[in-house]
Amino acid sequence: MSEKKSKRDDEKRDLIIFLSQFDLSSSKIEQILDKLGEKATIEKFKKFNFVKDKILTSTTYSKIIENADEVVLKTYLSNLENRGIKIVTKADENYPKKLLELPDSPYILYYMGDLSLADEPSLAVVGTRKPTNYGKLNTEKIVREVAGAGVVIVSGLAYGVDSIGHRACLEAGGKTIAVLGCGFDNIYPAEHTSLAKEIAQKGLLISEYRPKMKATKYTFPTRNRIIAGLSDGVFISEAGFKSGTIHTKDFALDYGRNIYSLPGNVDSIASELTNDIIKRGHASMVTRSSDILEDYHLEEGVEQTKMAIDGLSEDEEKIVEYLKSGAKTIDQLTENLEISINNFNTCLTTLEIRGIIRRMSGGYISLN
Amino acid sequence: MYSKVYSYGLKGIDGYPVEVETDVSNGLPHFEIVGLADTAIKESKERVKNAIRNSAFTYPVKKITINLAPADVKKEGALYDLPIAVAILSCDEENEVKHEKDYVYVGELSFDGSVKKVKGILPLLISARKLGYKKFIIPYENLQEASFISGIEVYGVKSLIQTIAFLRGDEELMPVEPCKFEEVKKFGQMGMDFCNVKGQKMAKRALEIAAAGGHNLLMIGPPGSGKSMLAKCFPSILPDLTFDEALEVTKIHSIAGELDQKLGIVSTRPFRSPHHTASTVSLTGGGSNSKPGEISLADHGVLFLDEFPEYTRHSIETLRQPLEDGVITVARSNATVVYPANFTLIASMNPCPCGNYGSKDRECRCSPTQITKYLAKLSGPIMDRIDIHIEVENVTYDQLKSDTLEESSAEIKKRVDRAREIQIERFSGANNFCNAKMNASQTRKFCKLDRAGEVLLRQAFDRLKLSARAHDRILKVARTIADLEGCETIQMKHLGEAISYRTLDRKYWH
Repeated sequence: MSEKKSKRDDEKRDLIIFLSQFDLSSSKIEQILDKLGEKATIEKFKKFNFVKDKILTSTTYSKIIENADEVVLKTYLSNLENRGIKIVTKADENYPKKLLELPDSPYILYYMGDLSLADEPSLAVVGTRKPTNYGKLNTEKIVREVAGAGVVIVSGLAYGVDSIGHRACLEAGGKTIAVLGCGFDNIYPAEHTSLAKEIAQKGLLISEYRPKMKATKYTFPTRNRIIAGLSDGVFISEAGFKSGTIHTKDFALDYGRNIYSLPGNVDSIASELTNDIIKRGHASMVTRSSDILEDYHLEEGVEQTKMAIDGLSEDEEKIVEYLKSGAKTIDQLTENLEISINNFNTCLTTLEIRGIIRRMSGGYISLN
Repeated sequence: MYSKVYSYGLKGIDGYPVEVETDVSNGLPHFEIVGLADTAIKESKERVKNAIRNSAFTYPVKKITINLAPADVKKEGALYDLPIAVAILSCDEENEVKHEKDYVYVGELSFDGSVKKVKGILPLLISARKLGYKKFIIPYENLQEASFISGIEVYGVKSLIQTIAFLRGDEELMPVEPCKFEEVKKFGQMGMDFCNVKGQKMAKRALEIAAAGGHNLLMIGPPGSGKSMLAKCFPSILPDLTFDEALEVTKIHSIAGELDQKLGIVSTRPFRSPHHTASTVSLTGGGSNSKPGEISLADHGVLFLDEFPEYTRHSIETLRQPLEDGVITVARSNATVVYPANFTLIASMNPCPCGNYGSKDRECRCSPTQITKYLAKLSGPIMDRIDIHIEVENVTYDQLKSDTLEESSAEIKKRVDRAREIQIERFSGANNFCNAKMNASQTRKFCKLDRAGEVLLRQAFDRLKLSARAHDRILKVARTIADLEGCETIQMKHLGEAISYRTLDRKYWH
């Protein structure tokens, strides 16, 4: 019996992989599979007229029928295998459990890396593509600590918060999952190609699109449902009302995921959304990493690096003390502390190398 | 009748002797100039004819042929009017022109017979002196320019009549009195003073280091943060031009026709700030009559490129050779000219197209792709040649209104001068004169680090993720900082400061 079932599953799997070459949405695939019933094979697919049932357009249908061939599928599969791209479908046993809960879970996932990460406790880190210094600093800090405690960080490899999340996680030695809104051949943004490679080696790179697929306006919101679906909680560190993060938030609410949000200044455009969802009670406010980790029943990572602030020179101590009240510009520091500028620059470098302070864009200096 | 007088032509910043041969023979009245003359020279026929007539001389109604030898070099400009007129007049015995063979004539004639100033007198005289020419007759207006060259006799003439009277012996002219460079120097404009710039300590310090070591510098900051003002103050802390440097700069300015004839010499370091719409040729020099470009006019001075990424990529990339070698080679189909271009580059830019990226109180409207594209305009090889990058912040109202006395340029200049003296001593015998121009072996020799320094640099590379190209830049800047303090060895603190001037090498920028 079980052998029979697995054969049936294999055939279904083949059909799903075959159909994924034609960029069909998961709802279309679902309709097709419904139509075919229990025994879904490529051969059976050919016998049905999906155009008449208004499931497929005539052009798509004829394109699929033209290519409905074992050989086409085999070359496609061997091609993927050569490149180290693996496939998991809904018909497989190792399909991520969390995604099965979704009403519109993807039928197929292309992936590189360790798929088992998808079943581990995880936190999505999402937000604006252009975070402020405040957003950058706190995203990094919280991600480092959460990842250090063993939570998998899920994000979308985009500019801004996404890539900060991935990088901070990798730096803290944590595991991270990147969900792409495009195929593996057209990584967007192209600058993050090397980051994607690193994630494929140390974590997991996932896409529901065939490798040749290019990113479009519509692929990113659909991608966001997988980000929300793969994670147990969603941390929004900074986002305005116009941000695409709003989709991720909506999916997370639909799927019943915990939402965490970093509060920002009331007049900060970059924190409009985050402040708003805290106010409405959609998200719980996060001021330190333990706010998130409590829900995971975890403690802050042991690896947490508390910088040793001893053995500093007099001037360096003055600078550190002054920075405790927040980020300052260089002019503010030199004027209020009365340190000569050449001495000051030397202090900055040593403090920076020791990891006590950091330089931010716009000429700001802040404590790490 | 045949006569020959000497004149001089210019090719790049060097000259070559030109013989103006004239033959006046019987035949139908005709005037012909041969010897690869350009349009300006061809048109000199009319100027010479009218100048001779209006000066009450007889213009020969004969067949006149002029040859400008060497015949195979293309000659340009209006400076042959005077020698041609003198040559024609001396063919006629009635005029009794007994010109001495070894005079070199240059000058443009106007219809009324007066002599007008010409471009490039200084390089012409310097080059002619080298070849042994001793006596010159030049336009009176160019006389000041000639007064800085010793060992030659230069006479300034105001008109054709005066020239002929002088040659006949009717009028006596005195050769120009040599002028002391030191006396002219004090008339030079020094630009703006740093005491007018409030705040901006970091930028001022960086500019001081750039001036002391001849380092190129890039300022990054939002619009209105005072980048241009800082740059304009920069020449006021540069060491004074030496006489030799001044002569070299004057040569170029003289050829370009940009010389102040009252002073006759460029006495202060030039400050050039071409607009970002400038064409590549206007920057590098060249064109059909091979003029020096902006980068050569900035020789021994400052080339300020405001809104650096707005220049065309092509223009920016052409700066590579001059930044490395201090010269620009302009090759055209009929000539290859080498112009000096030994300048300090001061560039400024916004952090993104809208200028507000990283600002605390204004929102940046640029997309991440736009920002990346904007920064990508500065290619690796160009960034490689800029030693110091700094961020310039907006000045607050309080800083603007504060009464604190800022350090004046004169005080900063004293420190810069001392640091330069140390460098001149260090590089005596070598052909560079400042730390920024050290080659690899000199860097190894003069920028030795102690153990602590090595450790610091290694940590800096690991922790701050500096790119490899920053290594030598940091060492050179550290050398200059040590020189400013009068230290013989590079200490930790010098190195630490030098590292802080490499903001663009950092990852955080993206």
